[in-house]
Amino acid sequence: MTKRVRGEATLGRGGARFVAERPTRPGGVVADLPRRKLGIDYDTAWARRYPVRLARAIVLDDFSKPVLRVALSPRVFGLEHLDPVEGPMILAANHASHLDTALLLSILPSWLRHRTIVAAAADYFFDRHWKAAVWSFGLGAIPMERSKVNRRSADLAARLIEDGWSLIIFPEGGRTADGWGREFKGGASYLAKRCGVPVVPVHIRGTRAVLAKSSSRFRPGSTEIRLGDALRPDDAEDARKFAARIELAVAGLADEAESDWWSARRRAAAGTTPPFRGPEVSAWRREWALPDSARKDQPPARERLKHKPWKPDND
Amino acid sequence: MSPRPGFVLEVDKSTPATLMWHGEGFRLERLPVGTRIVYGPEPLDPLADPDSAIRQALENPLGDSQPLRSLLFAGMRLTIAFDDISLPLPPMRSPDVRQRVIEAVLDLAADAGVDDVVLIAALALHRRMTDPELRHALGDRVFEAFAPQGLLLQHDAEDPSNLVHLGLTEHGEDVEINKRAAESDLLVYVNINLVTMDGGHKSVATGLASYRSLKHHHNVRTLLNSRSLMDEHNSELRNSNWRMGRLIAASGVKIFQIETTLNTNTFPDQMAFLQKREWEWSLRDRATFLAASSALQRTPAGLSRKIFHSVEAPHNLTSVQTGEVEAVHHSTLANIYRQQLVEVQGQTDVLTMGLPYICPYNVNSTMNPILVACLGLGYFFNLYRNKPLVREGGVLILSHPTPWEFNPVHHPSYIDFFEQVLAETTDLFEIEAKYEESFATDPWYVHLYRTSYAYHGVHPLYMWYWCAHALQHLGRVIVVGGDRAAVRRLGFSPASTLNDALEIAEDVVGRDPTITHLHVPPLLLADVT
Amino acid sequence: MKALQFERNLSRFAAARVASGLVGSGKGVRVGPLELVEIEPFALPGPGWVRVRPRLAGICGSDLATLDGRSSRYFEQIVSFPFVPGHEVVCDVDSGNLEGRRAVIEPVLGCATRGIDPPCPGCASGRKGSCERIAFGHLRPGLQTGYCRDTGGGWSTGLVAHESQLHEVPDDLSDEDAVMVEPAACAVHAACAADIAGGERVMVLGAGTLGLCVIAALRSLCLPGSLVAVAKHSDQRRLARELGADQVVRPGEQRRAARRISGSLALETGDGHIERLTGGVDIVVDCVGSADSLKQCLDVVRPGGRVLLVGMPGVVRVDLAPLWQREIELRGAYAYGTEDRPEGPRSTFALALELVREARLGRLVSARYPLESYEDAVAHAAAAGRRGAVKIVFDLRKGGSSTDATRGAGSERPQVARTTKEAQ
Repeated sequence: MTKRVRGEATLGRGGARFVAERPTRPGGVVADLPRRKLGIDYDTAWARRYPVRLARAIVLDDFSKPVLRVALSPRVFGLEHLDPVEGPMILAANHASHLDTALLLSILPSWLRHRTIVAAAADYFFDRHWKAAVWSFGLGAIPMERSKVNRRSADLAARLIEDGWSLIIFPEGGRTADGWGREFKGGASYLAKRCGVPVVPVHIRGTRAVLAKSSSRFRPGSTEIRLGDALRPDDAEDARKFAARIELAVAGLADEAESDWWSARRRAAAGTTPPFRGPEVSAWRREWALPDSARKDQPPARERLKHKPWKPDND
Repeated sequence: MSPRPGFVLEVDKSTPATLMWHGEGFRLERLPVGTRIVYGPEPLDPLADPDSAIRQALENPLGDSQPLRSLLFAGMRLTIAFDDISLPLPPMRSPDVRQRVIEAVLDLAADAGVDDVVLIAALALHRRMTDPELRHALGDRVFEAFAPQGLLLQHDAEDPSNLVHLGLTEHGEDVEINKRAAESDLLVYVNINLVTMDGGHKSVATGLASYRSLKHHHNVRTLLNSRSLMDEHNSELRNSNWRMGRLIAASGVKIFQIETTLNTNTFPDQMAFLQKREWEWSLRDRATFLAASSALQRTPAGLSRKIFHSVEAPHNLTSVQTGEVEAVHHSTLANIYRQQLVEVQGQTDVLTMGLPYICPYNVNSTMNPILVACLGLGYFFNLYRNKPLVREGGVLILSHPTPWEFNPVHHPSYIDFFEQVLAETTDLFEIEAKYEESFATDPWYVHLYRTSYAYHGVHPLYMWYWCAHALQHLGRVIVVGGDRAAVRRLGFSPASTLNDALEIAEDVVGRDPTITHLHVPPLLLADVT
Repeated sequence: MKALQFERNLSRFAAARVASGLVGSGKGVRVGPLELVEIEPFALPGPGWVRVRPRLAGICGSDLATLDGRSSRYFEQIVSFPFVPGHEVVCDVDSGNLEGRRAVIEPVLGCATRGIDPPCPGCASGRKGSCERIAFGHLRPGLQTGYCRDTGGGWSTGLVAHESQLHEVPDDLSDEDAVMVEPAACAVHAACAADIAGGERVMVLGAGTLGLCVIAALRSLCLPGSLVAVAKHSDQRRLARELGADQVVRPGEQRRAARRISGSLALETGDGHIERLTGGVDIVVDCVGSADSLKQCLDVVRPGGRVLLVGMPGVVRVDLAPLWQREIELRGAYAYGTEDRPEGPRSTFALALELVREARLGRLVSARYPLESYEDAVAHAAAAGRRGAVKIVFDLRKGGSSTDATRGAGSERPQVARTTKEAQ
């Protein structure tokens, strides 16, 4: 008589293990490649649902704003330029530090702050699940390509703007490495033209001294944010020309930050505003010419005596 | 009230106890009646506006030289060399003189549109400077403009691809210096003169030289014939450097020399009593002294070392001159004499001195026994013109704890020199003949010099050679309060107290010897007649 | 006959081990299995054996290890209990070829002493230390005189020896010189085993009796390029230098010294303290035999170099990765026999007699004790380095120095015996 093979499931005491361990794939089966939607493909819609927006508003208003106020002591100029703007807008700012976005959000009026999304570099802020979740939640970030306009993210941004969301974007595409500005790319101007919304130029001064690029030093300091007149593109103007005009406006605000409003206005009128990208000379001279507010914070020049002295072992 | 000149005090029964340095601490000693104490002049008033003085000096050079402004042009290769961590002592409060001068030079360079600029720390065979030390010397603006781009260099005397041999002097001395410096359109040297040995042609000929060059004057024979190192008319070291410097100039290296002098305001307010004459100590000074010395006794050694090495001196600019090397140095010397010169009549049998915690070669580190010897016999003994303060065959008494301790990162070759070489012999010629080559060429020391923060392998031998003149001149050297085994290893005699030391001295110079006490720091230069 | 006898008594053995672990080496003797007893004179085990009376008998490091219960269990099958310790012996011979003369005993009990014919390959080639019959023949097991029940040992007033073991002591050598012959022979054998071609850099770890004799032997018989001694105590350092070391350093500094004489590069901790050398010295001789010393040897020897273990080691725990990666040769050197010299094969003891005379090794005898003071003697021997002494011996001679211990070379303080100290 053949022994009856009992086909009971091989669970028994191994029940938890069965659930926890993934099954092994048999040899003849071809598997699909795992698909992870990260980077530019990350879906941020969940972060714009009402409950999440509410939570974000609480965090921004009741936590980030007071903390930033203490750490960065921001002074704001030009908020009145927001009043005549009806509907959503694009805020285009210079970029020197990771603190810029949070700082800018914190000084906006709350009706605007709660309806603003931020364009963030897909390769940096959305490369891991946890990072994508944190920034989508905390800043309302959407992924954006740094240099060229990506179809999907442009479509998403345009749709959101048309839905009434304002957008914060850093046209330089990244933080400044040496303290001078970088060329303004076409993303902001393209979206402005496509959606028919104005661009408000913003200059942020002093964040590089608090937390610079490639540095882990955080030194509380004071900052200034200036908002300028809203800009609308002419019909004749293409995206590139409009981007240059936005850059010039930010340069004017920078000039105003370093000198005063009147001298800056006169220079703007005469076309002699100091270039946003700094002088075209060798690296040391560019550094030499930096205004103090754009310098990195310096570590204290104190040498610690740290080596254990060599002593002979005595008898 | 204008600063008073230096003078020689004769100790009598009303003289209060004298302050004597003892490494990381100080003692009050009652010197015997009749001892002469040499006090240096009080610190001169510094320049009221150093920055504009510097700018003026750059516009009005001395000697055969154009103003710096006219020497700068777009497209040129500019190199700025500066004195390293061994100056000034103690380290200066911000802003350092080098920061002021180099910022002024770079302002002119920026105006002229000079793009190719390199900064070099002229450290010869000293150790490389750490980033915080460079920041302190140069300031943040200069550091940030050059260090991240790799344009702030430290002279590497062991890098054959960055050395160029310029020829031999009339005495057959090799002149080999930093290649970038030699091949620039203009070499600006930023110097600080603390003592008359510094500066002049020595800046480039030593500071930017290689071992091959240095051994022609950093040797026993030259140092025996430098009496003293501070006396420009009697120093073979200076003569050799002058020959080399003239050859460098003759071979087409264009040098714009900037020399500065500092006053002797060496100690901050909390330690003002160290600057003042003992009978002029106020109530506050006396209280501070007591508090400081009893606190120091209770402080563990590591902590007291940190405290002392964090002292930043308030000394300040008294003069700045620029232009052609020899003319500039002539003016510099006059300024140093103005600050430091003291007239002293006659020599004595015994010379005493207290040694502080710092010498040019242990900034931010331990003062090991070899450096104690170098500071006492190499530097302080040589603070004279014409004749030494002590007669030939006399006795030198030093006061320093002389710990048998070495900083293994800064002074690795010193450990081996002390453990192996001095255990066998202290004879200068024997050491030079038998050991110099192996210490100078040991690949490990070379590696540490080039990549870590270590003095060159041959440096401890140079420290020993620096004592040559003193070792030949003196009858005995006694160290008060030092580690007995370390003191004996140096070939000196240990004593527990100053009185014991004087008793030991009597064996050499006879009973009731005449004594001079050198009250330094602050620095002085004794003109002995 | 008086003798110090070592019983097999497990509980006392254990007590000794514990005591030496707790209070230090040599202190275990008080509770250990060593006793001063009266024994009958030994029977002569066979033809060729004679009776001898010790004059001086040394205390050796291996004796101390045995007394402390620290020696390796490897030896248990090649010793026979109870035995009288003591294998460094200069004695008066009572009969046979050397009757009336002084002799030193070559302690190894090879085939000749055991009446085994033909001799084993080791003994046949003169390498008695490599005898393969040490537990056989008409003697009980025992690798040496001083570990065998049938022969007795040096720590007594009488024992027996085979004529092949006796080497005549020339008249110009003192008793102190003669008692140093056995350790000198170990040193000579080690020096020859080091296989120095000429010009090598050699480092000797340990400057007790064995280390100092090795230094003397290396200097006399070989041509090292440079010879560095690592010595813990200042008296040892002085003697090391006198006996021919080029440089003497403290333990803890051997890496730095090895780096300097070999010009090697080093791997440092960030603090500047040297952790490992990339090169090293050519030959390291370990005359310590402790858990740490083998590691220290591996630290300073160059890739492809040689480590020679001369001091008797125990069970040690060491990381052999450096040995493997750097292809280091690890060699043991034990006892003596015949050495291949340029002038032809020579007996190690003959070379040792020459070395003792040339280097005046008798000055290493620091103190003499009577058998009754054995506790003090062993304690002194165990703490010799620290107390400024090198070799401690038992003095079995009649008259004069048999009831007090006197100062010898290297000792700083006079030793006090149980009886009152007599003026020298």
